[in-house]
Parts: sequence; C-alpha cells; structure tokens
Amino acid sequence: MANLAIVTSASIQHGAGGVLALAARAVTKRFPGVIANDQVNFDLARGEVHTLLGENGAGKSTLASVLCGLYRPEAGQVVRDGKEVRLNSPRDGLAHGIAMVHQHFRLVDRFTVAENVVLGHKSLSFVLATAEIEAKVAAITEEFGLPLDPRAVVGELSAGERQRVEIVKALYQGAEILLLDEPTALLAPPEVEKLFLTVRAMTHVGKSVVFVSHKLGEVVDISDRITVMRGGKVTGSVRRGEADVRRLAELMVGREINIVSRRAKSPVGEVLLSVSQVHLERDGAAMLTDINLEVRGGEIVGVAGVAGNGQRDLAEVIAGLCAPQQGNVTVCGTPTAGRGAGGARRAGLAYVPEDRLGTGLAPSMSIRDNLVLTRVRDFLVDRKSALLEAETFIKQLEIKTPGPLTPTRKLSGGNAQKVLLAREIFAVSGARVLVVCSPTRGLDVGAVETVHALLDEARDAGKAILLVSEDLDEVMTLADRVLVLYRGRITLEQTGLDTNVDRVGQAMAGITT
Amino acid sequence: MILLGRRVQVEQRMAVPKSAVVIVPVVSVVFALVVGGVFLALTGHPPIRTYLDLLDNGYTSFYGITDTLGLATPLICTGLAAAFAFRMNLYSIGQEGQMYLGMIGGTWVGIVLADSLPPLIAVPSVLVFGAIAGAAWIAVPAFLRARLGTSEIVSTLLLNYVALNLVNYFIFGSTGFFRDPTTSFPQGRAVAESARLSPMAFFTDKVTNAYPTLFVAILLAVFLFWFMRVSNYGYETAVYADSPNTARYAGMNSAWLQSSVLLVSGALAGVGGAMYVVGPAGKVDPGLLQVGLGYAGIVVAALARYNFLAVVLAAVLFAGLRTGGNALQVSNDPVPIAIAVVLQGAVLLFALGGELFRRNKVTLVRVQRATT
Ligand SMILES: Nc1ncnc2c1ncn2[C@@H]1O[C@H](COP(=O)(O)OP(=O)(O)O)[C@@H](O)[C@H]1O
Ligand SMILES: [Mg+2]
Repeated sequence: MANLAIVTSASIQHGAGGVLALAARAVTKRFPGVIANDQVNFDLARGEVHTLLGENGAGKSTLASVLCGLYRPEAGQVVRDGKEVRLNSPRDGLAHGIAMVHQHFRLVDRFTVAENVVLGHKSLSFVLATAEIEAKVAAITEEFGLPLDPRAVVGELSAGERQRVEIVKALYQGAEILLLDEPTALLAPPEVEKLFLTVRAMTHVGKSVVFVSHKLGEVVDISDRITVMRGGKVTGSVRRGEADVRRLAELMVGREINIVSRRAKSPVGEVLLSVSQVHLERDGAAMLTDINLEVRGGEIVGVAGVAGNGQRDLAEVIAGLCAPQQGNVTVCGTPTAGRGAGGARRAGLAYVPEDRLGTGLAPSMSIRDNLVLTRVRDFLVDRKSALLEAETFIKQLEIKTPGPLTPTRKLSGGNAQKVLLAREIFAVSGARVLVVCSPTRGLDVGAVETVHALLDEARDAGKAILLVSEDLDEVMTLADRVLVLYRGRITLEQTGLDTNVDRVGQAMAGITT
Repeated sequence: MILLGRRVQVEQRMAVPKSAVVIVPVVSVVFALVVGGVFLALTGHPPIRTYLDLLDNGYTSFYGITDTLGLATPLICTGLAAAFAFRMNLYSIGQEGQMYLGMIGGTWVGIVLADSLPPLIAVPSVLVFGAIAGAAWIAVPAFLRARLGTSEIVSTLLLNYVALNLVNYFIFGSTGFFRDPTTSFPQGRAVAESARLSPMAFFTDKVTNAYPTLFVAILLAVFLFWFMRVSNYGYETAVYADSPNTARYAGMNSAWLQSSVLLVSGALAGVGGAMYVVGPAGKVDPGLLQVGLGYAGIVVAALARYNFLAVVLAAVLFAGLRTGGNALQVSNDPVPIAIAVVLQGAVLLFALGGELFRRNKVTLVRVQRATT
C-alpha cells in the first residue's frame, strides 16, 4: 500500500470503466458565508462506485445535491452521458435517471413501503394498482438484495430498513445513477455489509453509484475510485488498489499537519479526571470498550479519531449524560458515573459539546441567559451579574454582536463558540476539568486561533482538558498527549514530543503496528 | 402555489422588523372586518351599523362591558392554562374538561366545607380545590407524556368528553350528591352562601354579571408573567421549550418539567371552573358546557402568542365578540348567530394568519421553466 497514486481530478477524464455516465465540471455553489463547492470536478463511469470522501462540511452533500438536481450551481455544468444537462429539480434529475438517497430520509411514516415507493411518481393513476406495485417492489428487493415487506408501515421500520425503502424507491423510479449520502451513518456493521452487497448488485447490472462518506475506514473496500474533498475543494483522487488510508487521511484533514505546537508550560499537576474500564452499549452494540484514561491538571489530552468511532459517547459518559454499563468516571476525586449531568458538574466538570447551537446553547435565548445555563441557579435567576459577565466577555473576546441580549442563533459559528467556551471555562464556578469536543469545526481561521488560545490559557491556569476532535491538525497542535479512538477502543497512546503523526493517522484508520 | 406564472415564496425572517409587530395585527383586524362586512352585506345587514351595534353591545355600553368582563374571567384562566402548556410545546387541549372538573371540585368544597367557614376562607378554598381538581384531571396525560412520551393532545382531548359526561351524569343521570335534593327539576345542589361572591356594581346600583374573581384572574396573569420571567422554573421551561437537547445537556429533569407544566396548566383551567362556581353559577351547572370556554382559551392563548399579559387582553377581546354577537341576535334587526360566529372566526383566522407575515417574508417570484 505504500505506493500510491494521487491523481488530481482535472487529469481524470475517464474513470474505471471508460464511458462517463455523469460528471460535474467546475461546479461552484455558494451559501451565505461559505463556498460549499469551489470549482469542483467529479466524474462517474458506468458501472462504477465512486466514493466522495471528506470531513463534515467539506461540501460532499452539496456536490451530490447539485448532481441530482436539488441545488443549482452558480457556475459549472452537470454532464450526463457526454451532454450538458440543466437540472432544475430532483424531478429533472430523475428524468435523467439520477436519484439521491439523502442523509435524512424523506419518507412518510404512516405510509406503507409500497406507498412510499410510488409517492411522487409521475405516472400514478388515481387508484393505486396496489398488487401490481407490490409485485414490482418485490422484484426489485429480490434482484438487489434489499429484503423488505412492501406492506410494512414505514414508521415501524429500523433506520437500515428505511434506507432500503429509499433505495428501492430510487430503483423503482428507474434510477441508473444512485447518489448515496452518508448511507452508513445510521447502520450497524452487519447492515453495512448488506448495503455493500446491494451496491455491488447494482453496478453488476451497469448502474453507477456515488458513495458519500466521511468514514475513511469503510470506503476502501467498496470503492472503484475515491475522491477526497476538503473545504469545498477536491484535494485528490485515487483508484482502486492505490488507496492508502494514511494518505487519504492526510488528504481529508489537510496536506500540512502543523506540529508547531502549544504545549504545557508548567509541569502537570494531580490527576483530575480519570476514566477506568468504561464499557458502554447502546441497543446491544458496543460503543465504548474498556476505556481507560487520565487527565492531569495543566495538560491537554487529545482524543483523535475519524468521526463515528465513539467520540461522542466518550464525551457523554464523562459529562454524565449517559451512564456506562461498566466502569468508573472520577472528576476531582468524586465518582460521577451514573450521577447525571448535574452530578458531574457539581464535581467540577465543564463540557463543551460538539453541537454548539442545538446542545451547548439555547439558540433562541440571549447571550446573557445562556451564560447562566450551566451554573447553580437560585430560585430567582440572577440575570444582573450574568449581564455584566456577558458584557465583559463580549469586550474581551471580541464577540461580534449587537449586544448581550442578542439570541445566540444570530451569532456566527465562531462567536457562538466563544460564548460557549467562555461560559464553560470562566463562568462555571470551580470547574477544574474541561471536556471539549470539536471546538473549531466550521470556524474560520481567526476564530480557530482565538479558541486555541483560550484552551491554552485554561491549561496554563491548571485545568485538566480532554480535547476530543476529528481534526488531527488541532489535536497535534494543542495536545500534550494523544489518544486514538477507533471503534470504541483506545488503540494508541502517545506522549508529547514523540508523537508520530504517521502512527496516529494509521491508528485512526484502524491499522496498529 | 403558482399564480400567473409567479410562485409565492415564503422565507423565514432573520429578524422580525419592529414595524411588523404593530402593522400585522392592525391589518389583520381590518381584513377580518372587511370580510365580515361582505358577509353582512350579502345577508342584507348594513355592515357599519351592525359593527357599531356589536361594539356597543360588546364593549362600550355599561352592561356590554360588564357582561364581557364576566365572561372573560374564566376565559383568562383557560387562556393562561393553554398558554402555559403551549409555551413548552405541550399541546394540551384539555382545558375544557379540566375546567368542568374545577367546577365539580369547587362545588364539592362549597357544599361540604363552606358552611362552617367565613367567606374569606371559603371562597379561596373553592378556588384552590378547583385548581386541584383541574390538575388531577390532567395528571394521567401528564404522567403518560413525561414517562412514556405519549402525545398529550389525544389523551387530554379524550378526557374532555369524559368530563362532559361526568357533569351530565351528575345533573341529569343521577340523583346523587351534586343534584339539588329540594326539587325534582334536574339542577345542581347550591353551594353555601359563604362560598359565593356578589357581582361587582362598579359604583352604581346595577346588578352586573362581572365578579371580583376578575381581579384574581388578572393577578394570576401578572404573577405568571413575572414569575416565568425571573424564576429558575421559568428559565428551565424556556430552555426546554427552545431546545430539549440543551436542557438535557444542562442536566435539567425533562420529565419533571413536562409533568409540572401540564399539572399547572390543568390547575389554571380548574380555577376557571371554580370561578364559575363562586361567581354566577353557585353549583354544578351544565350551562358551562354550552359556552366552550376551554376551547376558546386555546384560541385566546394563540391570539396572545402565549404571552400571559396579552392573554388578558385577548380574552376580553374574544369575550366581547361573544357578548356583542349574542346581543345582535336579539336586536330589532336580528343578525343570525352564524354571522356573529363568522365574524369571530374571521378575526381569529386573520390574526393567526398574520403571524405568517410577521415571521416570514413573503414574496412573489417568477417561475423559471425547467429547461431539460
Ligand atoms: N442549505 C444550506 N444553507 C447554508 N449553508 C449550507 C447549506 N448546506 C450546506 N451548507 C454549508 O456548506 C458547507 C458544505 O456543507 P455540506 O455539503 O453539507 O458538507 P458535507 O456533506 O461534506 O458534510 C458547510 O459549511 C455547510 O455549513
Ligand atoms: Mg453531508
């Protein structure tokens, strides 16, 4: 695997099989404040599985939505079978045999499978020929290995089954090209394998598949080609057999991984956070297995890993939001596992969740009111001191806002994150342990710098910080020690200066040496 | 919706402009009056004069406004009840039934205890017991919602029918405790005199239909307005309403928040029923079943956008449309009740529809033909 061929996408004219089924030519799509797709080139051959790989926010869904007709690009073209097409709606896309299965399913819960499959189908007669439809649905499920009962009510199906409904629906409508947006996000491993069989069955009969994913580990097996996106741009493209997870990881997180770092200036103190032998299961699937870690005052321990390997569960267990089946969590000497979020906070824990606006902050409430969220409140809420605090933070951290009474949802991502961090670092009385998840996701360079400086400052103030981040760059920059989380286990631990980026990258992809 | 090659495009406003807050309700009412006027004209009633009549009978004449205030009193309570629950995204529509239970519970205390109590204690006991009965009536839906996540909409609605039949049974179906034992005529047993209030005279010697409980209702509204703004309980419910995930993150107890909010909502509706007892009725009175004050409370809450102080105004507005509308039927040019109802409906529809314009920017865009 050492030999890898990275081809810039512009140089690829023909994919694996020869005939190009679908292509994007210099597609640009903007959203307020971001260029989601910046001159993106992408193509798909007949019978090919072409994976679109990238971190969250890289622009994958946007590109797929352009290709299926949901979004219209500001510039660039969509080419189908060598001819430019203008797609104004997903219906136009379907007319060209292009269908997309979205990350969030678009099904009617109360309808049966068969009803959902024909929903929105153009040539629908007034009275549904139920038997005929069900027969056709059954034939599709048979051919492509998508076991489903056409009469089952969709509301009662599992996520995996719903996804099959979406795929059957696309095939029923005559899709030749299927765009699957993060199809494995909601699936358990055995279901993923079944999905891969379906994908193979489709390419076998000449259909093509665009497979969108941000999970590096799983895509290598299924893909004929992998194109990596980052920050709205294509950063590289590799063919089957040339795929090297290490380099793919690098393409995903950025070419240069800066190791000019912020490290602890003072010697570390006592252990403030310890997690021992934690085991967590959800719905029978093991999410965390035998997790042991310690964080001392005055150090930042980084948890690296590709998204979906248990990061969120780890943070939630420590924050008291979910109770592990086994194991202990100790915050400043107090056992907190199973004592709820309040218990963990009382013991001295502060937590910055990955989802700022939907979890860390109450979006419609003001900056002032959000500052009292995680503090001990009396019968009457003391908003006066919160107002002063808000004004201080706004000034010191240069938070851009009309004032402390502005709802946090009106803040940009960076400013919302400053509010959240300020609250958790400074305003929580006595919190000496800080768990921070993906603190800079989606922020611009300036805000990233402020956030990193804040974390650095908190470390120097003697706090014990656990930094959980999918951004390897960030972990390498900030952490004094690095752990790698892979499939719910800690597979690698490295300390400070001997941190080897290559080994961390490999561990993130599940390769241990 | 496509109109003349243009499509109506609705976009959520990032910030609601100050002017929209004032203009939209005014325009809504004007539109409603115009639509109502067309109806009146079509049915052969002079719109302007009918409106003036309505205004007089509902608001500006002495008996008009006192009747309106009397009707508004329990309506404020049911409106507060609905607003309290709806603010938390709990869609209890059981105010009607909880109000009946408040009437039953209040009457029970009024009959059993009040004889031995002075009015200063008897009247509050009736109100408190009404509140307890109202809360009890929503206890099961509240438990189901908080523990099992069962929709409160259906469970509270179903209990309205149970409560309705309960009242009918007590008065028409049985000769039990709540039935007046002194006559064979089916009517409720009266509560003790000490549990009744006299109507307010407003510095005249006239007998009105408004009772001092009006001030209790207004005080409740003011208290809730203040309490939910400054208290930790108000804060936690607001966070939960805004984002349940955030509440969970902050370690709030969502089951407690949901069930307590529903119980308080039930209690508020129950107080409304008890006010009917200490005020005009003095007994379990099936007359309350005809008025629909519980359902009207939902409308009032929606009109007030769940603001407790605005509930008072909305309740008076709504009650005035009612009393004014009723009075029109008996004027010398009787307007059928249907028209009065249409008027009410038009005001409400436009007021609620106006909300769309307040929250969203509505524009017409040219439809681009698909070129494929
Ligand atoms: N409908 C939208 N409105 C505004 N911004 C959007 C929208 N969809 C995506 N974006 C932004 O575009 C960028 C790329 O998003 P997306 O294509 O969803 O990424 P991915 O699917 O790779 O995670 C992100 O910064 C995201 O916030
Ligand atoms: Mg996406």
